Amino acid sequence: MTELRTSLAGRISLAVFSTLILLFLALPIVVIVVTSFGNDAFGSFPPSSWTLNWYAQLFADGSKWPAALSLSVLVASLTTVFSLILGMTAATALVRSELPLRSAVYGLVLAPLVIPQVVIALGLFLLFEPASMLGSPIAIALGHTVLASPIAVMILIATLKGIDERLEDAAASMGAGRLTVARRITFPLAAPGLIAAAIFSFITSFDEFFISQFLSSVDTTTLPIQVFNVLQFDVDPTVTAISAVLIAVAVLALALVGVVRRLGPGKEGGLLPVESAAGLPTGSETP
Amino acid sequence: MAGSVLASAPAPVAPTTRKGRLRRTLASRRGRFGLLNATPVVLYLLILFVYPIFSTLLLSLKGEAGGFTFHWYADALSGADLDVLLTTLRISAETSLLSLVIGFVLAYAITRLSPLWAGLVMVIVIVPHFISALVRTYGWIILLGEHGVVNNLLTDLHVPGAPFQLLYNETGVVIGTTSVLLPYSVLLLYAVMRGVDRRLLAAAASMGAGRLVMFRRVYLPLVAPGLVNAAMLSFIICLGYYLTPALMGGVKQTMVASLIDEQVMKQDQWNGAAALGIILLLMTFAGLLLLRLLKAVGVAARNRGAA
Repeated sequence: MTELRTSLAGRISLAVFSTLILLFLALPIVVIVVTSFGNDAFGSFPPSSWTLNWYAQLFADGSKWPAALSLSVLVASLTTVFSLILGMTAATALVRSELPLRSAVYGLVLAPLVIPQVVIALGLFLLFEPASMLGSPIAIALGHTVLASPIAVMILIATLKGIDERLEDAAASMGAGRLTVARRITFPLAAPGLIAAAIFSFITSFDEFFISQFLSSVDTTTLPIQVFNVLQFDVDPTVTAISAVLIAVAVLALALVGVVRRLGPGKEGGLLPVESAAGLPTGSETP
Repeated sequence: MAGSVLASAPAPVAPTTRKGRLRRTLASRRGRFGLLNATPVVLYLLILFVYPIFSTLLLSLKGEAGGFTFHWYADALSGADLDVLLTTLRISAETSLLSLVIGFVLAYAITRLSPLWAGLVMVIVIVPHFISALVRTYGWIILLGEHGVVNNLLTDLHVPGAPFQLLYNETGVVIGTTSVLLPYSVLLLYAVMRGVDRRLLAAAASMGAGRLVMFRRVYLPLVAPGLVNAAMLSFIICLGYYLTPALMGGVKQTMVASLIDEQVMKQDQWNGAAALGIILLLMTFAGLLLLRLLKAVGVAARNRGAA
């Protein structure tokens, strides 16, 4: 095979442009992490001196962050539970059984991913407002589940497809009941997928802004809403520290997914849920 | 994501009548099991997804004193609201074009890297995707401010005209939305580019095709499906975008999501907001349909080429 000769100038300019693009992706994140340790919260970059003061102030008396953080964690945990239940049952129905209108069910499950979030948020507002459920963590979690469950379903479909059905059949043929098969065979094998689905559901809810904005009340603000309010209305230097915390949470979650994938049996498609949603051929990202 | 939502799932096993199929499904153990498992998610989405959108549609058609009206749509499609819709389309088009070009360069570069480097670069592309868009937008606000990193750098380099106004105008919004949507474009493009057989390019070169001809006649047609996918999906996602335009834009960059938010939260104008929401939904559907159409055209063209 003849390898194409690429000119040196072409190679260099490609490398330069790519580096610039990578900076374009990474800089907004790096700048927050660095600034959060700087003494002058918004000021010069790189900071003139270093401090952990902003992190200490996050938990000082009168800080709004702890309440917002605990509400966000509560909502995200509820969302994770809801979307795992829906995801596991839906994936089982779609992969492991004969289902009438299978394609319609599949389409319905994935539809929330392409519908603009504003429209979903507005509709949920119209649903919960008359029920005077605005501000209820359960209402917010139910709303987030609309966005989180398609991701969970996709991950779990890939997981179930990766499990050899004959293992379940073998257990059943030796007299194991349906529950025993699920508990002893399917769940242990699906554990990495379940953990990944849980992490992605949690993160989806934890970072969600628009639905929370429509469904929250004055005294229930989730973390992203609080961050948004600070950025738009009152200047508060601790916002940089909380943003850095959010970055750390996301990176840790991704690392955890990576570790779980490594441990799990077989590959479960791409890392990004959006890839399979886009109808792309599944496969691991990195060769 | 549009692809598989619109694409039909594998066909059912046997061509029986609907009634017969349902009876057979209920009769078989596997069928009952399937229905039982599908019920939670279907019920959930009907109540919390389909019904809310349906009630939005009804609200957008309801007059102030009850009765049926198109009045809210007429409002939304005239005056200041129309400007907002046009701004939304313009910013989405700019964002989708910019992230297509930038994404193309990066995705192409990744295909030319060794596996180890490609993996590292992919991490830099994917990790930001999972970091809250709100936080990344804040990062851009720090970077692009009048005394931010970018302007300081440009001033130090004695770029004429620096410092520039990079925030609270369209430049800021497009920079922000592009950086949020770029990972999608890169992944969609890379998925197609990875499959390009380099030998086709070598063959074209061996027959005397110049660099430009090779790119235009061989490479571009091969990656066209990825380009269409990336462009249309960035456009569609950008249409409903709220955070970045709200935080990095000025009054002239109000996008439709901000307008809906304002009408509900500040003006208690639910009907108008519902009409805008339905218009946004229709624009999204139009985009998805166009994507499907373009794909069908592409497949037809390829079949004709093969025949």
